[in-house]
Amino acid sequence: MPKCTIDGREIEVAPGTNVLKAALDNGIHIQHFCWHPDLAVDGNCRTCMVEVEKMAKLQIACNTVVSEGMVVRTTSPKAVDAQRSALEFLLVNHPIDCPVCDQAGECYLQDNYMRYGLYDSKVELEDKVRKRKVVDLGSIMLDAERCVLCSRCLRFESEVTGTNSFEFVNRGDRVQIATFENRKITHDYAGNLADVCPVGALLSHDFRFKMRVWFLKAHESVCPGCSTGCNVFVDERDGEVERLRPRRNVDVNKSWMCDPGRALYKEIGVTSRVSGARERGGTTWEGVSVPAALDRVATALKEAGSDSAFLASPQGTNEDVFAFKALADAVSGKLDFRVGDPEKKVRERIDKVLQRADRNPNTQGCLDQGIGRDGVAAILASCRGGRVKALVLQGPELLRVPEAVDALATVPFVAVMATHEGPELDRARVVLPAALWAETEGTYTNYQRRVQRLKAAVPAPGDALPRWELAAGVLDRLGRPLGATAPREIFALVAKATPGYSGLDHRAIGASGRALPLVGDAGTAQEARA
Amino acid sequence: MAIGVITVDRSQKAGVLPLLQGHWVTLRIFLKTLFLRKASTIQYPEETRPVSSRYRGIHVLTEREDGTPKCVACFMCATVCPAECIYIESGERPETTIEKYPTRFEIDLLRCVYCGFCVDACPEEAIIMSRENDLVGTTRAELVIDRDRLMARGKLVEHGPGYRPVDHDVRRPVRIAALERLKAEHGIVPGMPKTRG
Repeated sequence: MPKCTIDGREIEVAPGTNVLKAALDNGIHIQHFCWHPDLAVDGNCRTCMVEVEKMAKLQIACNTVVSEGMVVRTTSPKAVDAQRSALEFLLVNHPIDCPVCDQAGECYLQDNYMRYGLYDSKVELEDKVRKRKVVDLGSIMLDAERCVLCSRCLRFESEVTGTNSFEFVNRGDRVQIATFENRKITHDYAGNLADVCPVGALLSHDFRFKMRVWFLKAHESVCPGCSTGCNVFVDERDGEVERLRPRRNVDVNKSWMCDPGRALYKEIGVTSRVSGARERGGTTWEGVSVPAALDRVATALKEAGSDSAFLASPQGTNEDVFAFKALADAVSGKLDFRVGDPEKKVRERIDKVLQRADRNPNTQGCLDQGIGRDGVAAILASCRGGRVKALVLQGPELLRVPEAVDALATVPFVAVMATHEGPELDRARVVLPAALWAETEGTYTNYQRRVQRLKAAVPAPGDALPRWELAAGVLDRLGRPLGATAPREIFALVAKATPGYSGLDHRAIGASGRALPLVGDAGTAQEARA
Repeated sequence: MAIGVITVDRSQKAGVLPLLQGHWVTLRIFLKTLFLRKASTIQYPEETRPVSSRYRGIHVLTEREDGTPKCVACFMCATVCPAECIYIESGERPETTIEKYPTRFEIDLLRCVYCGFCVDACPEEAIIMSRENDLVGTTRAELVIDRDRLMARGKLVEHGPGYRPVDHDVRRPVRIAALERLKAEHGIVPGMPKTRG
């Protein structure tokens, strides 16, 4: 483990670490543009100049590997002068259209100018080289004038997606990035281009002009789009989610996330959310209060007893699923969750980057808690045989399955916890309003068997409650209280009851999750970690 | 003796003279008003008091020559506003040179504290203040004025523009430095901005 001294501080790093990463990891900031923690070192922006003792010239921190006894100075007059000059070069032809640029507020040029620059520009605005602006590349907008030619997007395209869409064209001060024949970016990871771009050259089409970023408040969460469980930030203002962006986690998603995942914020604030409970009397729906609806469910379950069936949802958090299982156990009903066999696809990739075939975030958590108990087919068979008097669904998945319609029609009482309105809800008797993933605390267990936390970012609409709270409400009415009133407390029960989860709690899981050993097929485990 | 206590000499009695002196003041003002028409009061609302050219009254959104708003929806005013009374939604302009403009721009005049920070923050001189201070409405909603009303105000202002980022403003040292350089190198002295109306 080589030791070096940066700005008088002794720092020990892993062999092969570069000076820039060593400094950043230890809270010493060196300006940089082209270096990205999850991309190869390129060293073209020349802004991270530092003075290294016994080296004749200044070195770029990103491409200088720390060696034993190295003494680095990042703030010596020589280094600072070089950093300022390099920054000035980047800004020579920059259009300074910050007022209309969406990157403003999270722009490396702005931040570094305020920190290292603060000089008066020597180039008049009229003399700057004009380049192409407002080029629509599908989900990305290109503004070549703002580009600092750091090549992060080129490297992302070649190293992560392998699509190589971007290339530098022209020479000298007219060089700019472009796609071949202005073709649009068509792969599922285009949103990351806006994230890797340190300036406003590549921006998200979806977020364009929507909000100034300094109004947004970020909440740590986990993407519910598939079993990968990418770590995300939910950016919200006044209870309205404006965007999702990846949160770096080296073991799961690095700094990336897919575009289908990014688009999931759109389903949070829509008007088609289920915001109140309702009950069907004959042919018409009648709105009822949530307590009244829970009363109705409890009464039906009391009558049905063990002639009841429960279908959990792998969209629910571990806490939701645990409370739901407790409800099933309270009346000794049948229990499963495997509608559409998500457990067979949980580790199946659908591309080479992040996405997986199982579009549920918590299939592994359901498996760990033993929710896959009686089999969906067996439950449906019991329904057809008239042996199910009450069916409680944690999500509307089963209602959407065409083969299940006839079986559901034979069940006298079907209650469903739903987040969004849909025609399938008409097959239920009672609809309970459920909170969405961004509105509830909890944990998901991803395909690697990594337990990750999500935090509530926005309030749930209307009367909607987290699914665990709905289950706990019914349990109270059955005289079998859950014994926990918050996700944190429920997780303590989960940890006690689930093999492998012992010793875990919300605090121990932390921001980046906690990996549990994958049981079973070791080859799958290897593949999953890769 | 405690600080702040004034001891009044009661040995002297109030005479007739001070009384007459007081009456003379009243009589003098009365005569001046009656014969010389030099009243200390003004006949509001027919007459209004003149206000400073930097008066911070109701806002005006300025426009370009083609009648579109000068505002580029950068949200600087909404960011700096201490009363949080500015609401903006932005959209895309067809010209690639300007790109952005406000599709909605609302100021809640009842919530506004008329500090003028929005004028200071604006990089485009798109929002200025007028000298108008009549704020009358029959409902609260009426006094949340939208983009079109804010822009139309530019033509309606009776008393000329009020607070705006003018060149002689002492709070703009960068501007002043630029002006001094302009004067030293080119001998140009920009005059006062022309007032409207």
